[in-house]
Amino acid sequence: MVRRSLAVLGFVVLLGPSAAQAHHSFAAEFDANQPITVQGVITQVRLENPHSWFFLEATDASGKVSKWSFEASTPTSLVRSGVKPGFIKAGDQVTIKGYHARDASQNVGAARELVTADGRAFAVGPTFSPAR
Amino acid sequence: MKRALLTAVMTVVAAAAVASLASAQVPRMPDGHPDLSGVWWPGRDLQIQPLTASGAQPARPPASGPPAAPRIRPPSFASLYQPWAMEKAKTLGDKDDPSLRCVPVAFGSLNVSLYGLGFVGQIVQTPGFVVMLTETYHSFRLIPTDGRKHREDVLPSFRGDSVGRWEGDTLVVDATNFTDTNWMAAEGVVSFHSDALHIVERYRRVDKNTLEVEATVEDPKVLTGPWKVPTQTLRLAPFDQIMEVGCTGTESAALMEAAAKQNYGKK
Repeated sequence: MVRRSLAVLGFVVLLGPSAAQAHHSFAAEFDANQPITVQGVITQVRLENPHSWFFLEATDASGKVSKWSFEASTPTSLVRSGVKPGFIKAGDQVTIKGYHARDASQNVGAARELVTADGRAFAVGPTFSPAR
Repeated sequence: MKRALLTAVMTVVAAAAVASLASAQVPRMPDGHPDLSGVWWPGRDLQIQPLTASGAQPARPPASGPPAAPRIRPPSFASLYQPWAMEKAKTLGDKDDPSLRCVPVAFGSLNVSLYGLGFVGQIVQTPGFVVMLTETYHSFRLIPTDGRKHREDVLPSFRGDSVGRWEGDTLVVDATNFTDTNWMAAEGVVSFHSDALHIVERYRRVDKNTLEVEATVEDPKVLTGPWKVPTQTLRLAPFDQIMEVGCTGTESAALMEAAAKQNYGKK
C-alpha cells in the first residue's frame, strides 16, 4: 500500500542532531516535499555504513507487487534506536514512513520511521534539513 | 530596601553554592585537572516526528502585542568569506562536498569538532594526552597536554595537528597544519578553507553531565576576520562506547546523480 501526500510551501527549519548525521546532503537525494508511506514485506535489511537500507515489497489492491528500497540512518543510530541486528528480518510486515527520492522514476525513499506489525514505531532516519 | 538587599545576597550565595556543587561533581584526574572522559552528544539520538511535507507550517496563534524583535543569527564560517571566496562559494554545491568522497571535515557539521560529520564522540583522557574519538568516519585527534609545541615534521592533515594546555579548569586546544582539501562541515554546506586554518577550542566540564565548548576559527587567506563559534553544550551520553561509522555509499552517489539530472544541486 502506498500513500503519498504533496505540499509545496515554505521550509520549516528542523535542524537537530539527527539532521546532521546524514553524511551527505539529504536534499540532494530526496524531496522533503514528498512524504511517502509504504506498507509491505521486508525482503532484505542492510545495517551497513554509512547508511542502512531496508528493502521491501508492497502489494497494491490489484495484487501488483512493487519493490521499494529505503535509505535509513547510520547503523549506529539504528542500534541506539532499538533496531538491533536481526530485529527486522526478511518476511516481516512493516510500514515505512519517509520521503521519496527526487528521481521519481525509482521506488526509492529516505526512511524516517519504521512501524512493526505489532505497532511499535522506531526512528530510523534523519529529520530533513532545509535547503541551503 | 533591607529585604531587597537580603534577597540579593541570598540569591548570590545560592548561585555560588550551586556552582560550587556542580564543580564538586566534575570528575577529576589524579593531577587535579577535570577529567573530560566520556561519550558526548547533543542529548538525544533519532526521534520520531510527524511525517509532513517540509513546507507544512505549524499552526501559529494570531499575532498580538508588539512585533517580536528580529532574530539575529550568529555569523557562520562562510558568511565571513572574503569577496573572492564568496564568489567561489557561489559556484559550489552539494555535489562538490568532499565528504561524499569519504573525506573527513576539518571542524564539524554541528560546529563541534568532536562530532565531525555526525553527532557523537568520545573523549578518553590520560595524564599526558586527551584523545578525541569521532564516531562518524571513525577519526581521532591526539592532543598532548604536556606543554609540547606543534609538530613540525608531519604533513598537513584533514583534522590538523593539535596541542592542548590547561587554563584553570578549561582545556584549550590549538589546532593548525590542516590541508586545504576538505570542508569545515558536510551535508553540502559549502565551507572550504585554506591551509592557514587555525582553530582554538576551549573545553570546560561544567558539571558531571555537561561539557561546554567554545571555539574561535581563523583563516586569514579566506576569511575577513575570526569566526567566533557559538558556544556548544554537549551532554554525557547514557552509554560509554561509540561505534563505527565508516564511509562507502554507492547508492547515495547514484541517487544524487539522478537528482542532479533534474537540476537539483547543480550550479
